[in-house]
Amino acid sequence: METTPTNRSGSGRHSPSRRGLKKSWWFKFLVTISITVLAALVVAPTALNIDIEKSWLPFKKKINLGLDLQGGVYLVMGADFNKVYSEVVKRTVDSLITGAAQKGVNCNLQDLVPGRDADDPAVLVECASDAARKQLYDILKSDYEILRIVQDNKLTYGLALTKAYRENVRERTISQSIEVVRNRIDEFGVSEPVISSRGTDRLSIELPGVKDVEHAKELIGRTAKLEFKIVDNESMSPDEVAALVSDIEAKNNVRYKEGEKFSEYAQRINELAKGKIPAGTEIAFQREDVRHNTQTGQAPGFGRVPYLLKARTEVTGDDLKDAFATMDPTDQRPIVSLSFNAKGTQNFDRVTGENLHKAMAIVLDGIVHMAPVIESRISNGQARITLGSYDNQAALREAQDIAIVLRAGALPAQLDFLEQRVVGPSLGLDSIEKGKLASMIGCLAVFVFMLLYYRGSGLVADVSLIINVLMMMAILVALDATLTLPGIAGIALTVGIAVDSNVVIYERIREELRAGKPIVLAVESGFDKAFRTILDANVTNALAALILFNFGSGSIKGFAVTLIVGIVTTLFSAVFFCRMVFDFYLEKCNPKRLSI
Amino acid sequence: MLEILPRNLNFDFVGKRYFFLGLSLVAVLATVVLLATKGLNYGIDFSGGAEVQIKLKNEVETSVLRGYLDKGGFENLVLQQLGDPAQREYLVKFKSENDSVIQAAGKKMESVLGAHFASGEFEVQRVDVVGPQAGKELRKSGFLSIFYTLVCILVYVVFRFDLRYGPGAIAALFHDAMITLGIFVLTQKEFSLQIVAAILTIIGYSNNDTIIVFDRVRETLRAHPGRSLEDNINRSINETLSRTILTSVCTLLVVVALMIFGGSVIHDFAFTMCVGILVGTYSSVFIASPTVIFLTHWQEGRRKNGSQQRV
Repeated sequence: METTPTNRSGSGRHSPSRRGLKKSWWFKFLVTISITVLAALVVAPTALNIDIEKSWLPFKKKINLGLDLQGGVYLVMGADFNKVYSEVVKRTVDSLITGAAQKGVNCNLQDLVPGRDADDPAVLVECASDAARKQLYDILKSDYEILRIVQDNKLTYGLALTKAYRENVRERTISQSIEVVRNRIDEFGVSEPVISSRGTDRLSIELPGVKDVEHAKELIGRTAKLEFKIVDNESMSPDEVAALVSDIEAKNNVRYKEGEKFSEYAQRINELAKGKIPAGTEIAFQREDVRHNTQTGQAPGFGRVPYLLKARTEVTGDDLKDAFATMDPTDQRPIVSLSFNAKGTQNFDRVTGENLHKAMAIVLDGIVHMAPVIESRISNGQARITLGSYDNQAALREAQDIAIVLRAGALPAQLDFLEQRVVGPSLGLDSIEKGKLASMIGCLAVFVFMLLYYRGSGLVADVSLIINVLMMMAILVALDATLTLPGIAGIALTVGIAVDSNVVIYERIREELRAGKPIVLAVESGFDKAFRTILDANVTNALAALILFNFGSGSIKGFAVTLIVGIVTTLFSAVFFCRMVFDFYLEKCNPKRLSI
Repeated sequence: MLEILPRNLNFDFVGKRYFFLGLSLVAVLATVVLLATKGLNYGIDFSGGAEVQIKLKNEVETSVLRGYLDKGGFENLVLQQLGDPAQREYLVKFKSENDSVIQAAGKKMESVLGAHFASGEFEVQRVDVVGPQAGKELRKSGFLSIFYTLVCILVYVVFRFDLRYGPGAIAALFHDAMITLGIFVLTQKEFSLQIVAAILTIIGYSNNDTIIVFDRVRETLRAHPGRSLEDNINRSINETLSRTILTSVCTLLVVVALMIFGGSVIHDFAFTMCVGILVGTYSSVFIASPTVIFLTHWQEGRRKNGSQQRV
């Protein structure tokens, strides 16, 4: 922003000069023209409702409509962490005591320590002797840095989780919940669902176009089903299975389409494959993450790698106690560590014994997530999955992903529905129409008012407002922002607020003219003196809008975004653009009177 | 030149400051009393509950519809018609202690209406459900965000002007927020998330007018250090008055259009903005600058007392 201070250097300009416009003016002009054209091109698909696939326009993006405009379901779920914490502290202390017992240290797990904050539960451990207590203390200090002692009475300890670990548990629980919910929703067949964490213990789910909230809630709320199944590579090789599936797809014209339920597709394939695969086996698919594949241009959805599995479920998620990603102490490579309960340990022992060197598929809700090979018989209920040989970072990420999948069945946090907002598609359309109409009437009123009150200068202000709206819309499209009904109101409101800047400038110019200043000087000092005021005013607007953005959710966030964007574009259009037009007019026309 | 105010207007705003400050003080106190006694009519965003908007194809007596819903087992329901009666749009609100009851509101409405109307004759357009716990938290974060906004603006104004101006600006903004709340208590209009959003916007916007005046005050004080503070401030207010009014009028044009044509969803939002802009314009003239005068005199008084004691 160029704001030359009011000095006498400009005074030469109010004598009629033939030297034309300065270079800097041409630069400004060029900037304005390019910005306006660019903005118009970006906005065109949205404004004219052009089919972006077929258009010749360079920018193939349309503004996203919020749920309140296109209809859909918005849900907020909260996880009950107090329950999760008390489960985790019990389980951790249990494993501490089991470990100690193997070393001959005799301690017992008692109940939860009463009267503690629900978000920081502790359990009591009673030791048989003072010696046992000391040994337990040593184990605790060396191996369990995630526990802290909150009570210490003779033979008993009160043990709680450290704050850092509770934080870790919370994050894990949320990311696991998001993963579970995402799996559920993929099953529901919604295009472009948005699932994200909100605050510390919430997740919000946006399902555009969905109407049946009950069904959605049912699907989301259901517990994940985790199964371990043996891969059958003896009856058919993986290539044969893949060939069979393509054959079935081609012959019966079965294709998985985005938005279809994946389980239904898998079921159809299995029905059609009956007789072609051995009895007691089934085909399941591994999902490849092709959500973000921009290179191959593959549409988001499921990549399908078929597996032939023995239908019998060997071990279920109920038998899994915990799973987490960690480093192998011997070679520092990421692994997934699994621990099973008593029944799971027994089953796992048998299955790994019987199926040595075969692959065991980890199946979550019917979808294969990975199929590690059983390398040895596992009898102690502590399994580990080693990952492929790529770099450690990627392997650790994958280990974490798998741990999440595994825990999804094993450690469900209680998720409660806290908020639900459903907008039917017709109301959304109606809202758009009314919002548009009201905004246009409001803007038109402002335009007319400015024309009547400021005449020629009012016209300049009106043009600057149009450019302002154009730029705002373009930035919203470019930012992938979501347009909501309050957002539409926000655009209109921005026009109302932006015009204030013009009013401030014009009133100042009038004042300077009344004081007897020549036109050029009056305009110059009008812009310069008004600039500070305009900047201050817009900064406070922006402060409020930023806080609103932080506070609001959904449609209100959309409003805050439009306000913030509007403030930026207002500074450009009201100050930069109008100044440019005035400079041109004064220079070229050298008017005796200013139409203001 | 078309002008809304006569030139060389010189209304004695500052001289009447006790009257207007008193008036506003009474209004703010009345709001506090109203908030404590009558209280805000919290919408489901803050109190928890369910809100279902339905649209019927054919005309039905409101009492008949209410009968259906009562029999359908909606507890303590409020039924209201939205906008144009010809549209046959209704809003059904109800609160319940039982979370599972309100969570199933949409489904229940479908089945109750389904029992009396053929499918296609009714439509559940919108369902909003907020659990009681979520409501409490939203209320807290709503009021906190208003508080944070005031603090941020205070800091900014103090930083940009000086210590005497900050409290003046905040007094005006606090005043605006309070009066708007007061009007919500008086009218018992529903207080929702959108209203908090509107109040936050007003706080940001209403400060614009105050800044216009303050900027002028500062300028006038520099240009005429000889004149009394009261005189300088009064001139500044008068000189910027047309600006203060014009900017508000422009924004009001938009807000009123939104209020009349924007449909039921943004009506209350626009109404709040409307009230806020009017009150904000008043306060930037009658509250902000007089507060600066009081603070300056108080500061000077303290300085005098301080020097006397030292002597």
